[in-house]
Amino acid sequence: MSSNLSRREWLCRSANGFGGLALLNMLAGQGDAATRAPHFAPKAKAVIFLFMDGGPSQMDTFDPKPRLTRDNGQPLPFRPPTTVFNIGDKIYGSPYQFKQYGQGGAWVSELFPQVAECVDDMAIIRSMVADHSEHTAANYFIHSGSGFQGRPSMGAWVNYGLGSVSENLPGFVVLESGLIPPGGMDCFGSGFLPASYQGTLFRQGSHPIADLEPSASSTGVAQQDRLALLRKLNAGVLKRFGQVSEIEATISNYELAYRMQSAVPDLLDLSKETEATKKMYGIGAEPTDEFGRECLLARRLVQRGVRFVELLSPARKGLDRWDQHTGLENGHRLNAKSTDQPIAALLKDLKETGLLKETLVVWGGEFGRTPCAQFPDKGNLKAIGRDHNPYGFTMWMAGGGVKGGLVHGATDEFGYFATENKVHMHDLHATMLHLLGMDHKRLTFPYSGRDMRLTDVHGNVVKELLA
Amino acid sequence: MRLFFAILAALTPLWAADAAGDEFFEKKIRPVLAAKCYSCHSAAVKEPMGGLRLDSRAGLGNKKLLEAIGYQNAALKMPPSGKLADDVLADFRRWVEMGSPAPSERAATAGQESFWAFQPVRKIEPPAVRDASWPRLPVDRFLLARLEEKNLRPAAETSKRIWLRRVTFDLVGLPPARDEMDAFLKDESPGAQEAVVDRLLGSPHYGERWARHWLDLVRFAETNGHEFDNAKQDAWQYRDYVIRAFNQDLPYDTFVKEQVAGDLLPQLRLAADKSFFESPIGPSILWFGEVLNSATDSAKSRADQVDNQIDVISKTFLGLTVACARCHDHKFDPIPTADYYALGGIMHSTAMRETVIDSPFQRAAIANITGLLDPVRVRRIDHFQPRPGDDVFEDFTGADFGKWTAAGQAFRNAPSQGVVNSGLNGALSSVGSLTSPGFKMPKLWVHVRMRGSTLEGPDKNDVRVTVVADQHKSIHFYPAGKQGWEWRSGRMTKEIGRDCFIEIVDRARDGYLAVDKILISDNEQPPPDDFVEEPWPIHPVRLPESRWAMAAHDENARNAKVHLRGDHKNLGAGVPRGVLGLLGDSKPPVGEGASGRLELAQWIANPTNPLTARVMVNRIWKHHFGHGLVRTPDNFGQTGERPSHPELLDWLAASFVESGWSVKKLHKQIVLSSAYRMESRPAPAAADPRNDLLSYMPVQRLEGEAIRDAMLAVSGRLEPALYGVSVVPHISRYQDGRGKPVSGPLDGNGRRSLYIQVRRNFLTPMFLAFDYPLPVSTIGTRGVSTVPSQALMMMNNDLVTELATSWGRTVAISGVTIEGAIQRMYQDAFGRAPEDWESREAVAFIGKQLTPVTGLTEFAQVLFNSAEFIYVQ
Repeated sequence: MSSNLSRREWLCRSANGFGGLALLNMLAGQGDAATRAPHFAPKAKAVIFLFMDGGPSQMDTFDPKPRLTRDNGQPLPFRPPTTVFNIGDKIYGSPYQFKQYGQGGAWVSELFPQVAECVDDMAIIRSMVADHSEHTAANYFIHSGSGFQGRPSMGAWVNYGLGSVSENLPGFVVLESGLIPPGGMDCFGSGFLPASYQGTLFRQGSHPIADLEPSASSTGVAQQDRLALLRKLNAGVLKRFGQVSEIEATISNYELAYRMQSAVPDLLDLSKETEATKKMYGIGAEPTDEFGRECLLARRLVQRGVRFVELLSPARKGLDRWDQHTGLENGHRLNAKSTDQPIAALLKDLKETGLLKETLVVWGGEFGRTPCAQFPDKGNLKAIGRDHNPYGFTMWMAGGGVKGGLVHGATDEFGYFATENKVHMHDLHATMLHLLGMDHKRLTFPYSGRDMRLTDVHGNVVKELLA
Repeated sequence: MRLFFAILAALTPLWAADAAGDEFFEKKIRPVLAAKCYSCHSAAVKEPMGGLRLDSRAGLGNKKLLEAIGYQNAALKMPPSGKLADDVLADFRRWVEMGSPAPSERAATAGQESFWAFQPVRKIEPPAVRDASWPRLPVDRFLLARLEEKNLRPAAETSKRIWLRRVTFDLVGLPPARDEMDAFLKDESPGAQEAVVDRLLGSPHYGERWARHWLDLVRFAETNGHEFDNAKQDAWQYRDYVIRAFNQDLPYDTFVKEQVAGDLLPQLRLAADKSFFESPIGPSILWFGEVLNSATDSAKSRADQVDNQIDVISKTFLGLTVACARCHDHKFDPIPTADYYALGGIMHSTAMRETVIDSPFQRAAIANITGLLDPVRVRRIDHFQPRPGDDVFEDFTGADFGKWTAAGQAFRNAPSQGVVNSGLNGALSSVGSLTSPGFKMPKLWVHVRMRGSTLEGPDKNDVRVTVVADQHKSIHFYPAGKQGWEWRSGRMTKEIGRDCFIEIVDRARDGYLAVDKILISDNEQPPPDDFVEEPWPIHPVRLPESRWAMAAHDENARNAKVHLRGDHKNLGAGVPRGVLGLLGDSKPPVGEGASGRLELAQWIANPTNPLTARVMVNRIWKHHFGHGLVRTPDNFGQTGERPSHPELLDWLAASFVESGWSVKKLHKQIVLSSAYRMESRPAPAAADPRNDLLSYMPVQRLEGEAIRDAMLAVSGRLEPALYGVSVVPHISRYQDGRGKPVSGPLDGNGRRSLYIQVRRNFLTPMFLAFDYPLPVSTIGTRGVSTVPSQALMMMNNDLVTELATSWGRTVAISGVTIEGAIQRMYQDAFGRAPEDWESREAVAFIGKQLTPVTGLTEFAQVLFNSAEFIYVQ
């Protein structure tokens, strides 16, 4: 019986205490990774997922379409599929200029001048395909491989498969700056996996996690005093109940929680970072401050052994995420300006510190956008937007065993449908797991009479993306 | 597993609806399939190519079969090794014309009829045991006989204190009160335990405790989730229905029947106070699933909803994973895809309905008052002309409501002068709804000419017209509240073709709603407003409350077609609506126009159904002993576990049915046993590493809801009120996202946890931290994980701190000494006195704090955090 099978067996059979075993390992100072092993040698040890909530437009960022510029204002020559709003069939040429960058000569629009400097480390996938046109289902899908609520998120799967190497931080951290994606916390849930794998949301500011510090209404007695008494009383409980392993785990849990209380402030304390670093990330400057902090924190989290860090787009006044049904030109510009410098800084910083080799960075939204203009008849060019499009869009990856300087796949000349080397979301998930040393068909959890997977019954590793 | 394959290998075709067709298949078709196709397209291959299995009925029904073997499609030429001979092709064409007869499907059923779960329940006498002094009840003899086989001894009898704490948490979900403990300890009569159990089963808190267990099974939720997390307004009625059902010991077979088809039963069940019907609330379970707010593919959304309904019904009542048969025949259980779509047809023929469930008594009481009101006279002049692009969906010019379904009394008056009016003839104070039949939305704009009362704030929704698109209450039209008629307009978020129906709803006691026309239109603007009418007076009257439910009704009964590979765009043959075939019994025919829910309900609740009683007694057992006799309570199939004590399971199931399906009598058979009195041990015996044989009582952790309820109870903050509209959850700054409600009170008004509204996107963090089941599908076994957020929450959470403060203060002002206070708090929290050393430590800790009150408050918090507070022996 392989160790993997016995673990699974144990999960199925034991009504109690999965967290118990993980926890005892964490208390032994080794994270719970010791209980897990990848299926084969991994390239990446951690993932930073830059989730561009709302769906950035591919033809305005990484997938230039001269035909759209040429036919601007003309009707699309085919009947498009049903979209969420389904109005507007007039072509909208990109308002941005594109240039080629790097040795590979990848095209990037003026929205991402700094990320563009990193294209030789990036594999740009222009042929992404997803299954849902509506935000929430699409958000669940990109996160969990299913359009339904309540499935484990990628970060939960990765931690379930590999275990955490952080002693006192959760293995799946979500950083936000005021925007929770449609679908809410279920985007980062553990679904049917044990609760210990669910994403922990770190809010902005100095109190990122709920209940990390004593309640404001507490009388302020030294927590040490309370914990000291609790330790004594709990020792008595063990005598009374016997050495029940679940109870031992629950008791030890307080020690871990206590360590988290000091680990989190240490994580957030940027005073040991140089001014140059902070400046590089755009911290202290507008509009990059918020996402710059997220990116720098992501690096610090990865350095501390956190397996999966997800970054959410910052809130921007007057903007609804990347979801520009109207006012795309200015909206995308502001979203890009808020994230371009921080992302470029993250990539460069990871590279300089050697972390990029073992950290997989993934950028993208739940879908892309349509080539046609939404609300095109109101006369005001600034008001033009684009609708949702899951049939062909762009994501990119970098580091962690990804082939740099690559442009993979293509959409049709309108940028509507992926046509060459389609990469379905399931394929992307399979590839991400592969880079982490896991076979997506073997990373399973028994639930509802089936062995469930992140990739359901689909998915192929995209070999072309591997370095 | 080996046995399973042996059975497959030994298959012989057993059924022959069409013997000639089957013979043709066996002689002419199967040999070709076996020689040319099975190597890629059968169960023998791990992953059949294209997912197509030609050894299954669903696969044989594939419409593309002839096209593929005929080499008509350049992209699909089968078999790839070369085209079949012309005479063979002719055989295939003839066979398809015959309706593709094949005997294969039933074979799996026949081969697996010996599987334990599908066998009839057999009640055998409890076995003889060597130690005849130990058993008190039949269950003890079953358990002891197995222990004795392994030379194991049952654990010693636990103390009365621990037993009372155990049984009180188990039956009512709260800790025993001090006086209850004292009374029980003093009662040395042999009937002391039974008296306690009778008291607990008679407590209204019993129904609350067991309703929460039940809600886990039906993925109970009060919002739709997804982007905006809209409310399911009447969901809470179902929660109360379940509480009442447990408290009244409603026979379980009735409970089952009501939840599947409570609206269709020949005799609807009246509530105890006779004011409303209970049974129509049952089918609310169909509608607790998630709902997309703007589906882009109506057929897929509906298919997904139906899948979830099948999943929940089959797991909850039958312990079967029928939903596995959506895309292919069930790989392990005898559930062909056709059976899945037989159930699918039933669900597709069932529609949601916001309806009034008042009893005739209640209606009479209301009519008695409203009948006294003056009829209202009106005079109208209407110049309405449809414009190009306008479709008149309804103008109410008929003599009655036509295809609309009326509920309640507000719309008891037929349309008059082309208007429906909930304010006519004294109906002003009545409530009710009108529901249109389902239809495909043909256009983008909806215009409703209406008038009525405008209500403010949370009551705003009480008077409205609603377009329900793909089960989502998408667009609401509210009256403007001016005196005259007015067009109100709404835009479908998206184009045409969504599955819709329209509701006209008046839930207001002092408001009315009148609707004249509903247009579906290509025009963004409504027609000119040229409808003149005299105003009528408004007479608000206080009336008895009407009750609403998220009910069901049969509509547009139709069979479902097999979705090949589960794809709703790739349809195979139609399947008659009906029940599962795996029991080999005859399927009751479903009448034309009927969904088949009634037949399904009666089939599930039939005493001869071997699964229904077994599954339920196993669930009850699980909550008393920590695990079921079958450890996979939602899966009694091949991939589930086998029963540890099959005879005991059957004895319990048979006794359960014989008792008239009494859940309370079942509890007594379990909790009054010697086994239930065993003490806990820290670890299993080597001979029985999972404690399957139950040589001791496992320690159990309380659920998040029970932990909160226990904190409320010991701190004196528990508000014991039963029933009612849910309390909005408290929302902290760490919870965010679309659809965020205005936060409810931190302590939930002291109500028990099951009264906190279940908002899909804003589940209560304290419950989530302790493995609250996501309302996704049936969860018969919650996880028990240990995560740091539990410790952080118990140490630092505002609610915990507040309750600890309350508790400490209450004890402090009661005038006892510090030692007395410590005594009392131990009794409250753990049902025991502190040991001397515990008292000393507590006194020292409290003495270090600024004041005795602060000390007791801090001490209270430490007690909440003690492992003894959340674990029960």
